[in-house]
Formats: sequence, C-alpha cells, structure tokens
Amino acid sequence: MNKTLRNPYVYLLFVLPTIGLYFLFFIYPVLQSVFYGLTDWDGLTPAKYIGLGNFEKAFKDDDFWISVKNNMYFILFSVFVQVPLIICFSLLISGVKRFQGFYKTTVFLPSILSTSIIGILWQFMYHPSIGLFNKFLGWFGVEPIYWLADPKWAMLSILITNAWQWMGFYIVLVLAAILAIPKEINEAAEIDGATGFQRAYRITTPLIMPIISVVIMLSIAGAMRVVDIVLVMTKGGPAGATEVMASYMVNKAIKYGQYGYGTALSIMIFAIALLLTALYQIAFARRQERVEY
Amino acid sequence: MKKKLITVLTTVTMLSAILSACGGNKNEAAPSTSPSPSPSESSSPSPSDTPSSPAAVERFDVSLRHIQVGELQRFRKAILDEVVKKSEAEVPGAKFEMDAIEDSFNRWTKLPAEMAAGNPPKIFDLFGGPAEGQKYARANKLLDLTPILDELGIKDKFTDYSTFVVDGKVYGLPIGAGSEGWFYNSDILKANNIEVPKTLDELEAAFETLKGKGITPIAMGSQAAWVPFMLINTLISRYAGPDIQAGVADGSRKMTEPEVVAAFAKYGEWVKKGYFTKGELGIDYTGQTNEFIAGKAGFLFDGTWRISTFNEDGTGKALHGKVGYFAMPAVSGGKGDQTAVNYNQNNGYGFSSDVNDNEKAAIKAFIKNLYSEEYQARGFKEDGVLPSMKVDPAKLTSDNPIMSEVLASNAAAGTVFPHFDSLVPGPVNGEFEKQIQNLIAGKASPEKAADEIQKVMDSELAALK
Amino acid sequence: MRKVFQKSLPHLLLLVYVVVILFPLVFVLLSSFKTSNDQIVTAPFGLPSKPTLENYSKAWTQAKISRYFFNSAYLSVTAAVSAILLAAATAYAIARMRMARASKIIYQFILLGMLIPGNVLFIAQYILVQKLGILGTHWALYLPYTAGALPFSVLLIVAFMKAIPSEMEEAAIVDGLGVIGSFFRIILPLTLPALVTVFIINLLGNWNEYLLANFFISKDTLRTLPTGMVGFRDAFQTSYPLVFTGIVISVLPILIIYAFLQKTIIEGLTAGSVKG
Repeated sequence: MNKTLRNPYVYLLFVLPTIGLYFLFFIYPVLQSVFYGLTDWDGLTPAKYIGLGNFEKAFKDDDFWISVKNNMYFILFSVFVQVPLIICFSLLISGVKRFQGFYKTTVFLPSILSTSIIGILWQFMYHPSIGLFNKFLGWFGVEPIYWLADPKWAMLSILITNAWQWMGFYIVLVLAAILAIPKEINEAAEIDGATGFQRAYRITTPLIMPIISVVIMLSIAGAMRVVDIVLVMTKGGPAGATEVMASYMVNKAIKYGQYGYGTALSIMIFAIALLLTALYQIAFARRQERVEY
Repeated sequence: MKKKLITVLTTVTMLSAILSACGGNKNEAAPSTSPSPSPSESSSPSPSDTPSSPAAVERFDVSLRHIQVGELQRFRKAILDEVVKKSEAEVPGAKFEMDAIEDSFNRWTKLPAEMAAGNPPKIFDLFGGPAEGQKYARANKLLDLTPILDELGIKDKFTDYSTFVVDGKVYGLPIGAGSEGWFYNSDILKANNIEVPKTLDELEAAFETLKGKGITPIAMGSQAAWVPFMLINTLISRYAGPDIQAGVADGSRKMTEPEVVAAFAKYGEWVKKGYFTKGELGIDYTGQTNEFIAGKAGFLFDGTWRISTFNEDGTGKALHGKVGYFAMPAVSGGKGDQTAVNYNQNNGYGFSSDVNDNEKAAIKAFIKNLYSEEYQARGFKEDGVLPSMKVDPAKLTSDNPIMSEVLASNAAAGTVFPHFDSLVPGPVNGEFEKQIQNLIAGKASPEKAADEIQKVMDSELAALK
Repeated sequence: MRKVFQKSLPHLLLLVYVVVILFPLVFVLLSSFKTSNDQIVTAPFGLPSKPTLENYSKAWTQAKISRYFFNSAYLSVTAAVSAILLAAATAYAIARMRMARASKIIYQFILLGMLIPGNVLFIAQYILVQKLGILGTHWALYLPYTAGALPFSVLLIVAFMKAIPSEMEEAAIVDGLGVIGSFFRIILPLTLPALVTVFIINLLGNWNEYLLANFFISKDTLRTLPTGMVGFRDAFQTSYPLVFTGIVISVLPILIIYAFLQKTIIEGLTAGSVKG
C-alpha cells in the first residue's frame, strides 16, 4: 500500500516534467535576469559587468517611476472602483430570480474576447468624432474630448476599458461564492426583520470576504503585469502618459537595445511586486481566514 | 542535476513530437507557386545564373522583410513583387519568403530584437546612420556589399550611401531619396482666398485664416514622434542653418543654441495656437495622411514619398490634381542658407551577414534587379520616389505636377541637409522623440526640450572618447 | 407600488450594465455593414441604409483571420491541456504520494513562481527562446504558455486533491490498481472540477496573450488572433467598416462557442475555485 504510493520512479515521472519546464522558463530566466542586470549588454557587443550601475540609473530614471505610478493607478482603480462595483453587481444578480442566467452570461462575455480586440474596439468608442463618449457628451453641448490623445484623459480611458473587460470575470467568481452561502442564514435574518440591504451588508458581504480578498489579489497581480491593452490602444502615449512598467522595460531592451538596463528594470519590477504582496498581506489578508486558491 | 537536465531535454523533445503533429510543417515539398526557374531573362550578365541542368534543383527560402504594408504602399509593393519574381526566375530554387511589417514596428522593435538574437531575415528594410545600420554593421550583423557592388559594377551608380558606410565598406543600399516639405490642398486654399505662401509670414497667415474658418491648418499625427520630427528637423535647419545636424552629431554645435531653441519655440507656438490636428498625439502617420486626403486640413508636412498617394489611382485620388508642394519658406533671423532643402537617402535594404552561397546568389540577383535604372525611373514615375542612383535625366519623366514642383524646389535649393536620425546615436534620437512629444503635450518648454536632448548628446559624445 | 419598485430596481441597474456591455458590440456589428467611414461618422448608431456584405468578403480574403483564429485556437488549447496534464501529475505526486519531504520542497519551490509577476521575465525568456532556436516558431509560444500556467495550476490542483479522502485510492490500490492507475482512474476524475477551472483560466490567458506573441512571432501566417488583428487594424485603418468587419469575424466563432458552452464555462470556472 504505502510502497505503491512511495514508488520513486513514478514520483519522478510525475514531478520532473513540470520541474523541468518550470526551471527552464522561470528559474533560469530569473538567474539570467540577475546576471544581465549587472551588465551593460546591448544585444550586439559582449556584455560588460558594471555592478549595480543599472539600478542606480533606475532609481534616478523619472520615466520609469512614471510608469510605476501608472501601474499603481491600475491597482487603485481596481481596488477602489472595480471591487465595490463587483460586489454591488454580484449582490444584485444574486438577488434576482428571473434572468439571473442571462445577466451572468452577459457580464462574463467581455472576458472571452481577447484584450487586443477589445483594445481596437474601444479605440473606436473613444474616437473623437465617431466614438460613443463624445456623441453622448455632444448632446449636452460638451466639446469633443480627445480621450486617448490627451494626457489628462488617456490613463482613465484605459482604466475604464480594462474594467469593462475584467469586471464580469470577477463578478462570476463572487457570485458563485454568494450562491454557495447556505440559504438558512439569510432566511433566519429575514425572519428577524433585516431588510434586503441590511442582509447584503451585514451578512453576505462578510461571508464573501475571502473571495473578495482573492479578487483583490488577482487584480493586483493583473495590474502589475498589464501591458497588452496599453500597447494596443496608445502604445504608451500620449507623450508617455500611459506607459506602464512592462512596456517601458520592453521598450528599453528591444527598441534601444539596452538589454542590461531592461533586465535590471525587470528585477526592480519583481521587487516592487514582492513589496506590494507583503503590504497586502499585512494590510488585508492577515485578517482573513486562509483561503486556498 | 544532470539527470534533471536530461529530463528537461527529453520532455522538450517529447513535447515537440506532439506539437509538430499539430503545426503544419512548412518544409513539405509544397508545390511552388513561383515560376519555374527558366533562363528567360537573357539580360542577365553572369552566365552562372542560368542553370544548365534543370533537374534536382534544391529549393531554398530567402526571407525578405519589407515595410510595404497597406493600400498606401501598393506601388512600392508592386515593384518589389516584380523584382522578387525576376530574381526567383534567375536563381534556381530560390523562393523569396516575403514578410510585411509596418515600418516603425520593423525599425524600432522587430529588427533590433532580431539583430540581438542574431536571426534577422536574409533581406530586410534598413535605415542607415549610427543608431541603426552602422551599429549593426559594427556588430558584424550585416553583409558587406562592397564585393557585390564591384561585381555588378554599380558601386559608383549611387548618389550617396554614406549613412550605410562603416570603415569604407558598404552595408546597405538606399532604395530612393526623399525631401520633406509642405503639401497643400489647393481647393481649400482657393476657397479661402489664400495664395500659395512664399514667406513664413504668409504661411502663418494662412494657418490663421484656416483656423478661423474651422479648418485644421496642418494635418498631423504625432503618436509616433518621427512624424512631427520631420517638420521640427526642417525648422531647426531653417533657424540654425543646414549644417546643424552634422554639427550636433560631431559635437561642434549644440542643441542649446538660441537658434535651435527658437525653432522649438516656433513649433510650440503653432501647437499652442491650435494649427495642428486636434488630438494629434493619438493619431498615427496613416491617420495623418487620411485626414489630409479627406480634405479636412489645408497643409501637410511630409516626405516626397507621399506624392503617389495623390495619383489618379492612389488612395488619395480624391485630391488628384489638387495638391501642391513647396519647400519651407525662409525664416527671419535664420542662420545659413535659407533655400536649403531636406534630402534623405537613409532608407533601403540591408542583408544578413549570416548567409550561405545560395542565399548570397539570391541576394545578388535581388540587388541587381532592384537597383537598376529601370526601377529607379519607375519608382520616380509611378511612386514619386526620387532616385538614389544616377539615372539618365532623360529617363526621369513624370507627368505628375507635384513631382515637377518638388524638382523645381529642389533645383532652387543652394544646399541640402539631412535628418537628425541619420546622424545622431540611438539614445539621442530617443530623447528627441520624447522631448518633441513633451513639447506637443505642453510638458516641456522649448528651452527644456533642447536642454535635455543636449544632455543625452553630451553623454554619448563623452562615451565615445 | 413600493414593492414593484423594489423588485424592478435591481433589474433596472443590471440592465444598465448589460447595455454597457453590449453597446460596443452592437456598434461594431452595425458598422460592419456600412459602406463608408462617412456613414459611421454621421450616424454611428444608425442602421446601415443599404446593408452590404461586401466588407465581409473583402475582410475574409484580404486578411488571414481564419489562419490567426486557427493558430490561436490550437496553441491555446494544446498549451492549456499540456499544462493541466503536467500540473495534475505533479499535484498528485505532491498531494497523494508518500514522499512528504520531497513534496514539501517541491511545493515551496513551485510556490515561488507565483511571486513572479507575469511579463517580468519577458527579456530573459526572449533570450532563452532565441538560444533554444525556436524563436519565430509556435514553440516559442507553446512552451512559455505551458510553463507559465504551471505554478498556479499545481497549487490549485494540490489544494483540491488534498481534500479528497484517502480511503478512495487506498481501496483501489488494495484492489491491485497501481499508482498510475489510481491517478488516472480514481483521482483524476474526482479532480475534474478543479481541472476544468484551471483549463478555462489557462485557456483564456493563452487566448489573450499579446506580448510574447507580438515579439516572438514575426511571420504573418504564424500570428495569433491578438497580434494578427492589430496588424489588420494597422493595414486597413483607412476603412473603419472593414476593421469592424474584421472584429466581427474574429469574435463570432467565440461568441457561438460561448453561446453553447456558457454554462459549462462559467460553472467550470467557479466549481474548482470555490469548493477547493
């Protein structure tokens, strides 16, 4: 019995392919990044060791920190705008009896379209002359806004598109958690005279905190790696207003051939992500029960 | 550890076996769509080109990266297609595998990445200058074309390929030449009683009139900074003289000189006054062209390669016969020759240094066919591309009125000046692009923009020493 | 009266959301039947005056949308399936086999991968893919897609497998089913909800992926839908209706699949994660 489950050959057979691929595409690139991050490699001539020079440069590189700030906008928008909306709409959908399936299907719909197609589509929504937004504002006599071309608006425009794409995905997750709550709890509260709003606020919301915590975590992870929607919609413009960490890093390495500096930036991004994870654990997750996801 | 590595390798191979079953194998003996190699083109000078035994010709692919994407480029694409067809016919087994990629993506993303990886296509669109062609040549990524040029006897046929030369060797060949200047929509000008401007004052008065009528004065798409850079490059030359580009590049002149700042200031003034397309930072080069074609803007600052767009059968046929061209007028207080025009021969083809004999033969045929008097003349006639080779002027005919205006304005020029990007290192060009967009977005003053660019230039010059 | 209001208010709010979701899609669909940019500019949400299918035949012949679609579909599916098989096997070894020390180390080792944000390894992976000689082939996407999904997949499946009572497979093993047999016949079917969840998440991730696809693939015929469609937009931006038609063609198959499988997809997505 135990012998069967201790068969080392089978164990290796089951574990090694994963570890191999994982090592090749995660661990080895990390080591490589550290190695190249300490050099001035330009992709064409042999790399030269320059110590922490790239990191010193990164700390003084204003453009990089602007891109970091833009990623933070994604996080803040997710946590303070998307998450409350996600909770509201999940509660609403869970409360209705008719059309529940229809709502669920529809809100999830954007999640299955690919980001670049959504980017192209929304470029037209933001189009100064044919776009929905300006047509709508035009009825109220508002001058056309150059959503994606005005540094003041471009970031917000992308954040809205990003929310449009992903909110449904999270709503479906949260909704499943709400529907998994035993009915008796709510029924008992109803008998005690709690209104619908009170029940949602006092009973359901606390019960779904674990999944909310997961949604926040996934949003942060998503915000840290966001790049495709920016590349498709604004290419980091106007005048660098929507540049994010990943696009800045890729640009440095590929367009300007600064592979050494680019990989150093990737290590910086890694460090920022670790820092955020730690902050998140301290601020939020520790108060929650541990959830397996 | 070793065992682990072996397993990794086995896994990878195993997976590859699975996947190759899914992915179509491109090396199957696919029926060739190209015309079978035939010795038809008797004009070919080297007898080795013609196969004596047609049997058992091994097929090989020659990757060719070009930038003739979309409707606007179709004349150029047609010429390229012909050249490829001819070359395939001349070199037995050669199959040119064409890969079309949009210009700036190829130039700034794809090609640099491929150069670093060491796997560029065999033939590719290439820009010269220290940031691109010369840098790749120094890293031994480009094929030295000097022997091929000697063999084909066309070495002295080119007017100027200096931006592709490193240590006396030629690494790229300009496909054509271009000037950058003002295009105008004569219908719009007429309707608003505007004469074709001869001075800067008249030009600015025209902008003001159009703006007052609710017409965009200048079509502009500055999402990619190289587009507004064209106008800024010419403005800087007007204010600071036609030798400013070379001067900044070798350190003898500075971006911080008051004349250069004045050029930035003039551009900034035009931005502030609203002379450019609204939302220009969100519009790309094609969008800019489209706006002008749609008759929504009075002027367009662009290169002469744009001329064919306004042909009878071009995408801009709506404006056929209604477009004129003039060089940037003189500016008051400008240094140096105020008639100088921009003249670039910085874009063409480069070739990978990693080629075998077969591929080399294909490259030779490609060069021989493309860089010929015939195509130079046709490019001129059909496409408005100024020749990069010395072509018998009698063959350079064009019934295109815009072309005659370009030729007249170029003939009137005392000197020519290049573009910054063909002379300054990559990081400086990058800073230029950044500061130009900052200037447009109102995030940088003219002084600050010039200052920042000079800083990067200084550090590049210091690194050279 | 108040009751009616209370009943219909949620529907009203939800309808607003539904409209926000569907509006862009309807706009695209309407525009794809129009003949010129002007028709869209003057009446973006009007019905096309003379609906035309010309755009469809043009978009279909001029762009390789079907090719992009096929590339995306087979890459997404093969990579997602491979990742699941590898992850499930590893998770089984970690969660069910009696090699506690090794399992703990391996689990922690793989957990590390969750800390690395996506895209950070882009440059190093680019260099790696180039060294492996697979740059510009579908391998350059298939392998990173598969590998990239592993840490998350392993963690989720381990959590799910740990919750399965051990009597199930003990009985099977006593009956003479080997360890591999127990994995395939007993544990794998029981883990199905988690597998479906992981599969859908990986599939969506691969289907969406743009950055690697953009830089690792250059040949037009090898492009995936995300990069192919961006190329299509760049090449045909002179004609809005044509670009819209391209979008419609590219999302239509997905919408059809979704229409049939939406229940499976949505429930599958949540089944493994909520109960796990």
